[in-house]
Amino acid sequence: MTVTNIVHTAGAPIGTPASPDTALACSTQGLSVAYRAEPVLRSVDFAVPQGVVMGIVGPNGAGKSTLIKAMLGLVRPLTGASEFFGQPLARTRKRVGYMPQSTSVDWDFPTTVLDVVTMGTYGSLGWIRRPGKRERARAVAALEQTGIPDLASRQIGELSGGQRQRVFLARTLVQAPDLYFMDEPFQGIDAKSQQAIVSVLHTLREQGKTVVIVHHDLATVRDYCDHVTLLNRRVVASGPADESFTCENIRTAYEVTAGDDAFLEFAS
Amino acid sequence: MSLIEFLGNHTYRMVFFGTMTIGLVAGALGSFAYLRKQSLISDVISHAALPGTLLAFLTAVVVLGADGRNMIALIIGAVIVGTLAVLFANGVTRVSKIRIDTAMAVSLTVFFGGGMLLMRIIANGAFPGKGGIQDYLFGNASVITIADLTTSITVGALALALMLVFWKEFALHTFDPDHSTVLGFRARTIDTLMFATIVIATVIGVKAVGLVLMVAFVVTPPAAARQWTRTLPGMVALSGLFGAVGSGVGAYLSIVLGRVPTGPLIVLTLFAIFLVSLLFSPRRSIITRAISRTRARAALKRELLLASAPAEGALR
Amino acid sequence: MSFVLGTTLLAVVTALACALPGVFVVLRKNSMLVDAISHAVLPGIVVGYFFAHNLDSPLLILGAALAGLIVVLGSEWLSRTGLLTGDASQGLIFPALFSGGVILVTLNFANVHLDTHAVLVGDLNLAAWEQLIIGGVSWGPVYLYVMLAVLLVNLAFLGLFYSKLKVTTFDAQFATSLGIRSGLLNTAFMFLVSVTVTAAFNAAGAILVIALVVVPAATAYLLSTRLPVMIALTAGIAVTGALAGFWVAYVLDAATSAGMSVFYGVVFSVVLVATRLRQRRHRNVREYAVASSP
Repeated sequence: MTVTNIVHTAGAPIGTPASPDTALACSTQGLSVAYRAEPVLRSVDFAVPQGVVMGIVGPNGAGKSTLIKAMLGLVRPLTGASEFFGQPLARTRKRVGYMPQSTSVDWDFPTTVLDVVTMGTYGSLGWIRRPGKRERARAVAALEQTGIPDLASRQIGELSGGQRQRVFLARTLVQAPDLYFMDEPFQGIDAKSQQAIVSVLHTLREQGKTVVIVHHDLATVRDYCDHVTLLNRRVVASGPADESFTCENIRTAYEVTAGDDAFLEFAS
Repeated sequence: MSLIEFLGNHTYRMVFFGTMTIGLVAGALGSFAYLRKQSLISDVISHAALPGTLLAFLTAVVVLGADGRNMIALIIGAVIVGTLAVLFANGVTRVSKIRIDTAMAVSLTVFFGGGMLLMRIIANGAFPGKGGIQDYLFGNASVITIADLTTSITVGALALALMLVFWKEFALHTFDPDHSTVLGFRARTIDTLMFATIVIATVIGVKAVGLVLMVAFVVTPPAAARQWTRTLPGMVALSGLFGAVGSGVGAYLSIVLGRVPTGPLIVLTLFAIFLVSLLFSPRRSIITRAISRTRARAALKRELLLASAPAEGALR
Repeated sequence: MSFVLGTTLLAVVTALACALPGVFVVLRKNSMLVDAISHAVLPGIVVGYFFAHNLDSPLLILGAALAGLIVVLGSEWLSRTGLLTGDASQGLIFPALFSGGVILVTLNFANVHLDTHAVLVGDLNLAAWEQLIIGGVSWGPVYLYVMLAVLLVNLAFLGLFYSKLKVTTFDAQFATSLGIRSGLLNTAFMFLVSVTVTAAFNAAGAILVIALVVVPAATAYLLSTRLPVMIALTAGIAVTGALAGFWVAYVLDAATSAGMSVFYGVVFSVVLVATRLRQRRHRNVREYAVASSP
């Protein structure tokens, strides 16, 4: 597979991609988002080659989640557009999976873990069809993959934070997409759940899937991601981790003065 | 009708000042319900006022042998039962997974349903001075007496005084309940006091404008006032002013126009004030916001296009 | 069919038709919106009468349901402006619409003769008065068939869109990312609630319709960790409450809807206390186990 190399830094002109857009899992062009009159993202050009694990890294309020939401049409962008496998989202929705931060969920909802995971199949069912045996079997398989098949009949609110994250990962896996968006999957979870999610990540990479992860723990970026985008309202750097995840770029993204050694040790 | 002529008439004067008092008190105290994000609690309170006043009526007539239409007795009954309804709604959310909207709906219907059953019991008995359900649903501003007016002014002043005495606690609690608890103020005590003032504000209007429309007196003025001011004192004062002016104008219009009922006209006047505020207030309004947003968008777009001009079309 | 049987059936069918959509109303935190819808019914009826010139016309129900939808969409629009906080947006439009309705009635608009308080309070026995007579045999109240139709429409809608309603209610953002049109689904659902509330006000009165919609589902919500269980319990509570409330009202000679709503309230309170006690006992047992373990 040809991996498009589009390392660039802020302000510098964007290199022309060497291969056609179809080699990209997703891309945005000039994407800007403003909440009220305050710009959160400024003209973001962002591209993810197929088959990589791309980490979106940046300080709080850098617009990491907003970037994903704007790409998926959950937030209306001010300017710019996004493409998935060279096409608009409406045409490729079934190839795209989204694992949101779990804050938008109603934890007291009367539903079981298996039910929640089965919801991942609803998108492919169309308007009226109901999930059947096949969908439930897929849900069970996804629960096994995330290591929590024994929780299948629990009410969703009874789970711990890490278990909940694994349920939402399973719900995304059930969709069997080619491109995964994960919003802070490692946020506030136990070590065992973290391991389970990491092992799923490895499997996905082996299967040649593309994963985009919003991540904010600089120390583990290199462990999970082979591509990194440093974001702070605009793209500071993007590309293979060796080239983009450098001291200089991290400093720029986190707006730290040169010489602060705490940031240096994670960099390439 | 000239204003002097209007104010020279006893009934008109009672309607005018009576509804203005209601509007002032409900508007000012409604601000806290609004900031507490629980404006609709006033709808629960006004519906719970039905069994409250009926119980007071029964107690006054049967136990005390007094006049069943005594305003003070009715207000005390309504305040007690209204507070119970609030405590029920908030208590349900505290002890179970039921959320506040559902808890309020349950409380409203249970208390109102109970009131309807009481109503039937009263209707079947021979009590002097009993009224029909429509008196409670829509109220009647034209029967406000001097005694009623003094009662509402006294009780309303009491509620406003409570608000001023506990101003600091109310402000802190509505803004950041956790912080106020950490500082050592018992959340439940403040809550009960605050809701008690809201109950009083709601209840004093039920006789004149009815239990169905009272919610508008508590919800609308604060929602309008919020668009013009950034401070809590400013909001409470303006909200009270909007309530009083809206009620006065509505009452005046209803008398001048003749056949049109007072309560509904006041509600429409308040709604008009709200719409004007929402559309035209200089800082926060739909129009100013739309204009500033469009401007900011245009400026941002221009800036972004300029910045990326050298790279334009690079990805295509 | 005897009058009592027909009226009882009407109570049961009305309770069911209201309670089933109530499940999603409660889960979507829209309970007080039903209160708002039920008040918008009045101007809807008055304006509907202007066009239909007949108080029994189905156009009336449709007009009133549209007025209910105005409240729903208007409230959503107001809260989307971001200029209002809390539930205030739900309490702004319906009093204004209701006031408009009252004024239209008092001004004798379109010569509609309507007891405003009858709209709010309702009377099941009056609604059951007009009997459907085919071939000289009474088939029960005409209104029973109106409510039966509403019940069937509700069943069909909930059956067809069960999965979609579930996922949008549970996690709206995720549903949108699946490509589900949550907004459209929400509007369709609230329109149906509006139709149901409008159709039921004749029997239950606009204020107490909320009891029929919200309380059975709220009670079932306390008892269930699964949606199908919650739906079944809701239906059971609705039917029991209709029968018991009918009986209470009969004994007290009061409006049936008042009896029903008080009975629902009692059931809710009993269940609330019972679940609370059970939780406490569980906790005590656990604390005891922890304390007594070495």
